[in-house]
Amino acid sequence: MKLKRIFSVGASVFLLLPSLSALAGCGAQETVRLRIYNWEEYIDEGGEGSYVYDELGEENAPSLIEDFESWYEKTYGTPVSVEYSTFGTNEDLYNQLKLGDAYDLVCPSDYMIMKLAAEDMLEPFTDDFFDESDEKNYYAANVSDYISNVFDNNYVTVTAEDGSQSQRAWSEYAAGYMWGTTGLIYHPDYVEEDQLNGWKIMLDQAFKNTVTTKDNVRDSYFVALAILYEDELIEIGKSHEQNELSDSEYNEKITEIMNRTDEETVSAVEKILLDLKSNIYGFETDTGKSDLVTGKIRLNFAWSGDAVYVMDLAEDPDGNEEPVCFNYYIPEECANLWFDGWVMPKGANTQAAQAFINYLSMPENAVRNMYYIGYSSVIAGEAVFEYVSDTYSVEEGDEEEAVEYDVSYFFGEGSVIGTYEDQLNRQFYAQYPPEDVMLRCAVMDYFDADTNDRINELWTKVKGASLDPWAIVVICVAVAAIAAFVVYVKLGAKIDFFRRKPKKGYTLVRQEPYRPVR
Amino acid sequence: MTRPRFSRKALGIPYAVFLLFFVIVPMLVIVFYAFTDKQNHLSGMNFIKFFSDPTKLSTIAYSLVIALITTAVCLVVAYPVALILARSKMKKKNVILMLFVTPMWINFVLRVNAIRELLNWIGILGEANYFNTILGMVYDFLPFMILPLYTTLLKIDESLYEASADLGGNAFTTFSRVTVPLSMPGIMSGVTMVFLPSMTNYVVSDMLGNSKVTIIGKFIETYFGSDWHMGSMIALILLVVVFLSTMLSGGFKEDENVRGTNL
Repeated sequence: MKLKRIFSVGASVFLLLPSLSALAGCGAQETVRLRIYNWEEYIDEGGEGSYVYDELGEENAPSLIEDFESWYEKTYGTPVSVEYSTFGTNEDLYNQLKLGDAYDLVCPSDYMIMKLAAEDMLEPFTDDFFDESDEKNYYAANVSDYISNVFDNNYVTVTAEDGSQSQRAWSEYAAGYMWGTTGLIYHPDYVEEDQLNGWKIMLDQAFKNTVTTKDNVRDSYFVALAILYEDELIEIGKSHEQNELSDSEYNEKITEIMNRTDEETVSAVEKILLDLKSNIYGFETDTGKSDLVTGKIRLNFAWSGDAVYVMDLAEDPDGNEEPVCFNYYIPEECANLWFDGWVMPKGANTQAAQAFINYLSMPENAVRNMYYIGYSSVIAGEAVFEYVSDTYSVEEGDEEEAVEYDVSYFFGEGSVIGTYEDQLNRQFYAQYPPEDVMLRCAVMDYFDADTNDRINELWTKVKGASLDPWAIVVICVAVAAIAAFVVYVKLGAKIDFFRRKPKKGYTLVRQEPYRPVR
Repeated sequence: MTRPRFSRKALGIPYAVFLLFFVIVPMLVIVFYAFTDKQNHLSGMNFIKFFSDPTKLSTIAYSLVIALITTAVCLVVAYPVALILARSKMKKKNVILMLFVTPMWINFVLRVNAIRELLNWIGILGEANYFNTILGMVYDFLPFMILPLYTTLLKIDESLYEASADLGGNAFTTFSRVTVPLSMPGIMSGVTMVFLPSMTNYVVSDMLGNSKVTIIGKFIETYFGSDWHMGSMIALILLVVVFLSTMLSGGFKEDENVRGTNL
C-alpha cells in the first residue's frame, strides 16, 4: 500500500501545482473548480445534433457545461470553471481513482457505484441536497419515484478505514443520471415472433453467425445465467402471475438468481458461454450497431439506449440506403436493470458537484441530454413527459390508431400516451418499458474481490484458446526448433556453413568477408 | 564570448532522460507489479499461475503460431517485391516503393475498418476468423518487411552476381548462395519487426476476428481492467520473448554492413 500512496501523493502534487499557481495569479475573485469525469459522448456537447441547434434553431448551440458555468455564476455569484474529462470503462475509472486522480464528480455504472461505496471511496451527499423546499434542488424535486425507490431501498455495506461496517442506501451516495434495460435488437424480417423464446435464442442454430454479444464479462455472464436458470425464472414468473408472489417478492427472487456466483453456477456458465461463442458472429464493443444496420447480423445484445440509437439511425439513414425498422426485445424470463449515476469521490467539492447534478436535473436540461445521447434520463419532470409525449404520440388525424401506453410508474399517476402500435416493441418500449416488464429487471451487484477473480478466470477461459497439452508441446518444440536453426545458421556462417567442403585435390583458401566498395 | 561547446555525451542527455522516464521507469513498474500480489506483498504467484493455466499457455502458443504464419507470409510476399525493385533499372522505382509504403501513413484503425468492409463484401467476415486475422496482420505489417529487405538488397554489389555467373552458378545457386546470405540482416530485421507486433496487435484480431480470436496482447488488456499484477506478468513474459528473439536475430548485424536496414 505504501508504494501506491507515494505514487499517488506524487501524482497529486503534480496535479495540484498548476492549480496553486492559478490561484496565486488570480487574486480577488476566487474561481470554483469543478472536475468532472464522465463517459465519452454522455452529455449535450452543443453544436449540430444538439437539441438547442436542431429544435430551437440556435446556430452556436452551447454545451450544457458552458451553460452550467454561466448559470452557476448567476445563481451563486462566483465563477466556476469546469474541468471535464472522459473515460472508457468503469474499470478505467476505478483504476484512475485508485491511482490518486482527484475529481469532484464522476459517473460510474450501478455496480461500480456499489463497489466504490463499499470501499468507502465516496463522499455522501449533504443533507440539504434532499431538501425539496429549496427550489434549486432540482434533482430531489424531479427524479422519478420509480428510480428514487430503487435508490432508497437498495443498500450497500460500507467498510470504513477503521474496519467498522454500516448499511447505507444507494441514494446517500449516488444520484441517477441515465437508466435502462438490456435486451436484443432484431431485424423483424429475419426473426419470427415465435422464435423469440428468451435469452436462449442466442444459442439457436437458426441464428448461427448472425448474433453478437458484448465483449465484456458482466453482460455475457448475465445472459448465460438467464439461460442456465431459465426454468426457475419462468416458474417464478408463473407464480407471480397467479398472485402467489407479490411484485416485490417476484423482483427480489429474480435479483437473487441473477446474482448467483457459486462454484457450480460459474462452471455451468462457462459451458454455456463456450456454446455461445461457437454460435455467435462475434463479441463486440461497438461494432454491433453498424453491423446490424449493414445487415451483417440479425440479433444484437444491446443496452436500451444503444438500441434506440440504432433504431433511429436505421429508420432514417443518411445517404441512399434503404430505411429499415428494427425491434427491441426484452426476454420474458428477466433482463438487467442498469443505471449510471453521479457520485462524489472523497475530498470532492460537494457544493459545486451537487449544483451540477441539480443543473442536469432541470427537466429542460434532461431533455437536452436525452435528445443528444438517446438514453433515458432518470428525471420525470413535466418537460420530460412533454418531450416523450411529443416524440411518441400519434400524429393528428391518426387518433383512431392510437394504442394507450401507460408510463405512470415512471412519470406519476395518469401518465398515459396514445402511441402507434409498432412503438410497443420499438423505441418507446426500449426507452420506457411497461411496468410489468420492469418487475422482471434485476440489478446486478458488484462481484467481491474473490468472486471477481473467479469470474475473470472464467472469462479468459471463454475468450482464450484451449489447446490440448500435446498441441502446446508441439508448438513449443517447433518454436525451439526454429530458434535452434537460427542459432545454427549464425554459427554456421562463421564456420563456413554456406561453403561446400573442397573437393578432393583442392585446398580451401580462406577469404576475407566481402565488403562492398563505397 | 566563447561558443558553448557540447561534447557528444551532452548531446545524448535529452535522449537519456527520455529513456529513463519513459522506458526504464515504466519497465521497473511493470516488474514491480508482476512480482507482487494485490496486497503489494512480494510474490511469485502470478508466474506460477501463468505457467499452470492451460488457457494462458494455449493462448500464447496460438499467438506464436499466428505470429509465425504472419511473418512467413510477409517474408514470402515481400522478398520477391523487394528483389525486383532493388534490381530493376526503372527510373521511377521509388514511386513503386512508395506505393507499398504509403498505407503506413493512413490511420491504422481506418485501414483495418476498410479491410473489414472488404472482407464482408467478399463474404468471409465472421466465417474464417483466423484467416482474416492473419490476412489483416499481413496487410498491416508488409511495409515493415519490404523496407529493410529493399535497403539490404539494394546494397548488394552487382558485380557479385556477375562473379557468381562467371563461376558457373545458375540463377538458383546465385540466389541461394549469394543473394540470401547477403540479405540475411534485412531478413532478420524484417522478421523481428513483423513477428513481435503480430503477437500483440489485438485490434486486428478484435476487428477482423470478431473478438473470437484472442491473442496474448488482448489478455494483457483484459487483465489491466481487473488485475494489474497478472497483466504485468504477462507483459513481462512477452518482454522476455521479445528479448530472446532480438538476441537471436541480433548477431547478424555486427559483422555485416547493415546500417540503415532498421527503420
